[in-house]
Amino acid sequence: MNDYIVEMTNITKSFGDVKAVVDGQFNLKKGEIHSLIGENGAGKSTMMKMLYGIYPNDSGTIKIKGKEVQGLTPNIAIKDGIGMVHQEFMLVNELTVLENIILGFEPTKNITIDFDKAKKEIQKYIDTYNMDIQPGKKINQIPLGEAQRVEIIKTLYRGAEIVILDEPTAVLTPQETVKFFEILNSMKADGKSIVFISHKLKEVMEISDRITVMRDGQYMNTVNKEDTDIDELAKLMVGREVFLNVKKKDVVVGETVLKIDNLWTSGEKELSKIKGISLDVKQGEILGIAGIDGNGQSELIEAITGLRKVEKGKVILDGEDITNKSPLKIRKSGMTHIPEDRNIRGLNRKLSIKDNMIAVKIDKKPYSKGLVLNNKEIDSFTKDLIERFDVRPTNPEILTEALSGGNAQKIVVAREVDADGKLLIASQPTRGVDIGAIESIRKILNEVKANGKGIILVSADLDEILSLSDRIAVMYEGKITGILDAKNGNENNIGLLMMGGKLGHNDSEDIGGNL
Amino acid sequence: MNFDSIFDYTLIYATIRAATPILFAALAAAITEQGDITNIGTEGIMLTSAFAAVLVSYTTGSWILALIVSMIAGVLMALIMAVAHIKYKADITAIGIAINMLALAITKFGIKQFLGTTGSFTDPKIVGIPKINIPFLEGNKYLNGIFNNWSLMEIFGIVMVLLLTFLLYRTVWGLRLRSVGRFPMAAETAGINVNRMKYQVMIISGVLGGLAGAHLSIGYSQMFIENMTNGRGFMGVAAMFFGGANPALAWVGSLLFGFVDSIGGRLQAYGWPSQFVLMLPYIITISVLAFSMWRKKRREEKAKSSLTIATVKN
Repeated sequence: MNDYIVEMTNITKSFGDVKAVVDGQFNLKKGEIHSLIGENGAGKSTMMKMLYGIYPNDSGTIKIKGKEVQGLTPNIAIKDGIGMVHQEFMLVNELTVLENIILGFEPTKNITIDFDKAKKEIQKYIDTYNMDIQPGKKINQIPLGEAQRVEIIKTLYRGAEIVILDEPTAVLTPQETVKFFEILNSMKADGKSIVFISHKLKEVMEISDRITVMRDGQYMNTVNKEDTDIDELAKLMVGREVFLNVKKKDVVVGETVLKIDNLWTSGEKELSKIKGISLDVKQGEILGIAGIDGNGQSELIEAITGLRKVEKGKVILDGEDITNKSPLKIRKSGMTHIPEDRNIRGLNRKLSIKDNMIAVKIDKKPYSKGLVLNNKEIDSFTKDLIERFDVRPTNPEILTEALSGGNAQKIVVAREVDADGKLLIASQPTRGVDIGAIESIRKILNEVKANGKGIILVSADLDEILSLSDRIAVMYEGKITGILDAKNGNENNIGLLMMGGKLGHNDSEDIGGNL
Repeated sequence: MNFDSIFDYTLIYATIRAATPILFAALAAAITEQGDITNIGTEGIMLTSAFAAVLVSYTTGSWILALIVSMIAGVLMALIMAVAHIKYKADITAIGIAINMLALAITKFGIKQFLGTTGSFTDPKIVGIPKINIPFLEGNKYLNGIFNNWSLMEIFGIVMVLLLTFLLYRTVWGLRLRSVGRFPMAAETAGINVNRMKYQVMIISGVLGGLAGAHLSIGYSQMFIENMTNGRGFMGVAAMFFGGANPALAWVGSLLFGFVDSIGGRLQAYGWPSQFVLMLPYIITISVLAFSMWRKKRREEKAKSSLTIATVKN
């Protein structure tokens, strides 16, 4: 009666006390593109990791091609024709593209690996789906978009008929996404079945045949694309109406608060070295920095905040030269910083909410005097912040590692905003947090701006850049490819700059920066 | 001081001779390092095997049997580490230290219990690993001095370097191992059993460490002394780091140690204080490690700098 090649029914999965999936339902038809959508933490990745055999399911049944499977492992899943492209690529940096693709399924000649045969085999996929890759390069020498194609070819090479893609467009420019969708459509035409995990509704509406929505580990509904629209999907995902596009407040722009002059700095990859960037930020404005992850945004922010050595050029904060000063000195000069990775630089996960909140003020009166802490003052300070920024749970002694992404991020935001500096750097401030927290963090950033502070906002999420920024600088391979007034910015012209292109006169009237 | 008699042609073989025990240790450490296990227990594996080799050779009169038993002893020690580290997730450095102390204690006990002496044991009944004599070379002083009368193990050491290089870079097993050491999650999603690979390299490490120990006690010398490895296992680990876990480069590191060791012996003959000469290998270990780490850091810094012109074409 059914033509499903995958059926997952009544699935549950817990990690310790956390229920990741309470009621999971999912089925896949042959030759369809089926989107699985939901907020961060809705359980969509967990569902697919169970299908791929990474986690065992606690209860429920999984059927592949009509046959119930138990004790699934990645090995068995691969044999059953399932391939998965993870959000974080499973590629070994030090090995070549070719070695990565054949890993685990190496063709052999006597006892050695038959690299020639492997190359020929792979060329087939490159030709069929029009995916260009360079087999001889090492992974750490190729851009992210290419690494993703390598991942897809890897699954195909392993004989996948069902390809699971976990948030694949997060690393692509809008233009690359268009090309990527062409690849997916040609795979579909070739009879492959595709699971597309995403929370970008516009893309989901473009590429899917059917859409399944999850919320808080629960299955909500499965709908045909023709029968739904973005608003309905958003409501299904979040459970209420969503207002992510905060109204921009027009604020009087004041003096220059940060001036970056011809900055050069080292990079983790060749493409992320900063090669001569000049920017300035004024009081009362948000300067958005757009670009695909890994084009030097992290390195730029590290150089400004003293975490990475400036090799050439100057950073001036409110008239004071802070180039290559220590992070602490730079902080004391009025820099505040919401780091891109809250679990590494933003928080000490093994310490309590209280300890994390007081961290930047611990040496100041009235919180300490000499070597002695004033716990009464610290307690009342923490309670005040927890209330003002709506952090939950409200017990200040709870360790931050126990908190959800959104609440953990609110602690960082609260600490940095309360520090009341001259400039706030917000690096990926809403990455991996729920929609409620996104709303409130975006509102807070707008308030900070209204108070006359300068803000640098780095985000890989173009919608976020567009909805918050007053001016937008676009980075590509360690340089600024263009600075535009937010009024003139849109997906097309920013996307073009994100790929290193230049804008003609009809794309935008206002192009500045060092093109 | 006569430089000619220190740096003459006999130094070549002396270097290889002194380097071989360290080479086997370096290979034992290199193979596990490729699987992301830094095996500082090499020292203990080696010491235990050195004792086992002398004991078996003395009691049975067979060097082949001695070699086999020493490899088994090495594997047993390595397996203790493997189970503790892989199955019970214990810190590898802590277990390594524990294994090294255990080896000291076991051999001290063994020499008293089975050989009835303390400190050191030597006896004519110990049958050593044979040397390869090629009569044809004896006519030429230089060829004879450099290439003749190599111990079987010295030849085998070089064979092992080639064999491991081939295994690591040309075979399926090698590719999988390199992926396991660098990104275990990627290996796992490729259906590779990461833990099984780790057990395998630990066993191989035990075999190589066993050969290192046997060579030391019945090849390089024909005796057993308490703590006779005397840091050679650690030097092997240092040589491995020097070569970045690449067998051929680790060999170069071992030769460096062998070279210093040989020079040291000759310097002693010129009245250099023996304490200083005995110190040399350790000074070199520290210097080599410091230098190779510094060079690695410099290279990385240079590669990351925005001011250097990229060598990688895009």
